[in-house]
Amino acid sequence: MTSITTFQHKMGAHCESGTVTALLNHGGLNITEPMLFGISSGLFFGYFHKHKSFTFPTFIVRSRPGDMRKNSQKRLGVRYKTFSFRDPVKGTAVLDSLLEKQIPVASQVDFFYLDYVPTWERVHINVHFMVIFGKEGDEYIISDSYFPKPVKLPAESLKRGRFAGGNMSPKGFLFYPVSIDTDIDLKEPILKGIRKTCFNMLSLPVPFIGIKGIRMFARKVTDWPKFARDTEHLSHEIMKINILLEDQGTGGAGFRFMYASFLQQAAPVIQKPDLLELSEEMMLIGDKWREISLFAARIGKNRDLGSDRLQELSEQIMDRADAEEQFFQKLKRTIR
Amino acid sequence: MTTNMDVEPGDDLKLEIKQLIMDTLGITDIRPEDVDDREPLFGGKNALTLDSVDGIEIIMALQRKYGVRLNDQNLARHIIQSIQSIAEFIAREKPVV
Repeated sequence: MTSITTFQHKMGAHCESGTVTALLNHGGLNITEPMLFGISSGLFFGYFHKHKSFTFPTFIVRSRPGDMRKNSQKRLGVRYKTFSFRDPVKGTAVLDSLLEKQIPVASQVDFFYLDYVPTWERVHINVHFMVIFGKEGDEYIISDSYFPKPVKLPAESLKRGRFAGGNMSPKGFLFYPVSIDTDIDLKEPILKGIRKTCFNMLSLPVPFIGIKGIRMFARKVTDWPKFARDTEHLSHEIMKINILLEDQGTGGAGFRFMYASFLQQAAPVIQKPDLLELSEEMMLIGDKWREISLFAARIGKNRDLGSDRLQELSEQIMDRADAEEQFFQKLKRTIR
Repeated sequence: MTTNMDVEPGDDLKLEIKQLIMDTLGITDIRPEDVDDREPLFGGKNALTLDSVDGIEIIMALQRKYGVRLNDQNLARHIIQSIQSIAEFIAREKPVV
């Protein structure tokens, strides 16, 4: 039996930021999940009307999987050891040897194979992250930030999750920090994180990213019926707006609430009290995104998907684009 | 702002929450007293059988009525499990005026 008793499990809003935060906390860095999220520029928006990876238009509300770890490396000076494997036997041996050395380690898995998740919630997502911090017999002890307490997972299920195939397959990916500056002054990392988020949202010269992406989503959502096989398919895709904004560990309202918490915590560190007001404003922006997710879920559930309803949805999304454009312009001016 | 430290909710609060849920979701064929406090609201044997869309409606209604924010969806999933868990959360988090 191996269990790293000094590792403390905490619930988190999102799997990747929760996992990275847990490992940094274990290594002695006092940082919260929203702070890590903001510093690593986790907030994002991208709309994909036609894309080879997606069979239907979709959008993302966070940076690419892996970016939170990579950006925390750049901005907080953390060094990580990473491993990928072709051979599951070798991947398991390396994991076991790290646990023997009392090293909690983050693992990328396909969410579908996590037996502790109720069956009706299990979907194939190859980019779920969690911390493995012990092994008892044939079961691993897992800190999954979606759950209030540590959970156990049979070795066979973990192996299937780590070595699942498909798009963005995990390839047994493991990582853990080997060097953390626990005395780092967060001021500069916060400023860099905010500047990059403002750039992504306002200035990236790509028509489907940031505010431009939200506007494209608003304009194009009325075209979604053209992509749908039938009403059932369309209703399923419209209801997915709610899932993408509220589920999948977004921290609520497409990560907007988590970003508001980040700004609130950042204000005293960088001595910019105006961030408190902007945090409140971001909360209200999040409330309106939540109204959009509820509206989408309702019209999807009721199969009330006429052009007038989709136009109404489009106008609500366009309204969010305007609000976020003003917000990020103010945020950019505040930290100048 | 301060919050209540006493987390044991009273029957009045539980009844109020049941009524709020029924009003919010337009449920008229069940009496609040028929709703079990501890049975899961989602997928259980409760008189109210709700889905995830109902869950968001409830979160927003709780925010409007009690001024409590349930921003984190993972946490929300655990809190809105039952009338009891909602009432404990409200009793703990409702701002004291």
